[in-house]
Amino acid sequence: MDNNGEMEVLSQFLELSDEDPATIYELFERHGWGDGLPLVAPTDKRVTEMLSQVKASPEEVLAVLPPRGGAATCRAVAVNAVLAGCKPEYFPIVVETVKALGNQKINLRGVNTTTHPVAPLLIVHGRVVDELGFNSGLGTFGPGNRANATVGRAIRLVLLHIAGAVPGPGDAATQGQPSKYTYCIAENQKENPWESYPKSLGFDSESALTIHCGENPHNFHDMESENIERILDKAASVMTTFGVNNACISGGEWFIILCPEHAATAANQGWSREDVSNYLFEKARMPAGSFREQFNLLAWADWMNSLSDKDLVPMTQQVENIKVLVSGGAGKHSCVVPSWGMTRSVTVPI
Amino acid sequence: MNMKIYSPEGELMDEVVELCSTAPLFSGGKIGVLENGKPNADLLLTKIAEGLAERINAKFSIATGKGERANAATACNPQVVGMLAEEVQLVLTGSAD
Repeated sequence: MDNNGEMEVLSQFLELSDEDPATIYELFERHGWGDGLPLVAPTDKRVTEMLSQVKASPEEVLAVLPPRGGAATCRAVAVNAVLAGCKPEYFPIVVETVKALGNQKINLRGVNTTTHPVAPLLIVHGRVVDELGFNSGLGTFGPGNRANATVGRAIRLVLLHIAGAVPGPGDAATQGQPSKYTYCIAENQKENPWESYPKSLGFDSESALTIHCGENPHNFHDMESENIERILDKAASVMTTFGVNNACISGGEWFIILCPEHAATAANQGWSREDVSNYLFEKARMPAGSFREQFNLLAWADWMNSLSDKDLVPMTQQVENIKVLVSGGAGKHSCVVPSWGMTRSVTVPI
Repeated sequence: MNMKIYSPEGELMDEVVELCSTAPLFSGGKIGVLENGKPNADLLLTKIAEGLAERINAKFSIATGKGERANAATACNPQVVGMLAEEVQLVLTGSAD
């Protein structure tokens, strides 16, 4: 026993002297674990119940997560899902997300360790949204919904504990960002005038998830316009900024998350989501010369480098990088989620 | 009452790392530096190249960057690669922050 009445035994287990939530909180704080918020004690009973939701063996390695190189076994992920406050039925989503984080396209090492404020945004699609009680409507980014909050938090705890993305030793983000606590929303298919986002990519499954590593959402609102162009002009004004990595890294994606009302305005005008992307690709531009004044180094596609200073440059090198989906509720606020730049979004069927 | 909880970290993966085969040391010949755009890469790599040249009786021949408009995140200009391939037998490159 140490002076705090706790005994650390084996590497896999820790013993607590009592069940007081403050005890686990203080233990985790001493180890440099946790996200700063209270935690649910990952007892054997709770972890076993979490594991019962998936067929995989507890020892199955879902992914090896950088920078620490931790083995995200099913059990280790279940421990973090318990810590986060997940209901057991959410666990399959957490498992599939961790597997997807191992996709090289995401570049998780860069995402976890960069000085840039970036976090994996998890977007849940399809049947599981209603089945598991995710919030795809009003307040989808939070707060208030257990599924959104705890699944997003479980992923962050996995990144902290297993991947070692701890501020300082593993995560160099200069200021961090609130979405590093939890970052999970759901696509609002009920109010989506188009096919679901995964279907637009060719996926036919009943449910899917998307991971896009980006900044906090950048809001834009339009309460007045009856035509989509004026609404998207505001989105374009949010996109045309030197302050995002998309400005100097032309391969970066943009996620345009339209509220149902803005999406309906577009659809009522006969616009598809591709029309929205095309409009923003043309509209969200600044003169090449102004980028060159602001940046010594530009990681641009060759065709952009060959433009004269007066030519207008889009905020990404190809229109396919502007992704559009629908989430949120009434109120005519939508948002743009800029990418970190050196990462690609991933959508997987589940 | 004691309670047992799991550690959240899991275990580190045993990673088998194989070093690439070492280039044979040569004496004579020319060494070049391709600095990758990271801060002070040119200084660091040049110092190493100078020391190595002295040690193996080679000549430190050229130091260059990746080319116009390149930066630490972009690939080296193919013309620069071609020039180095013609000019030197050993290139030092790569420096982290």
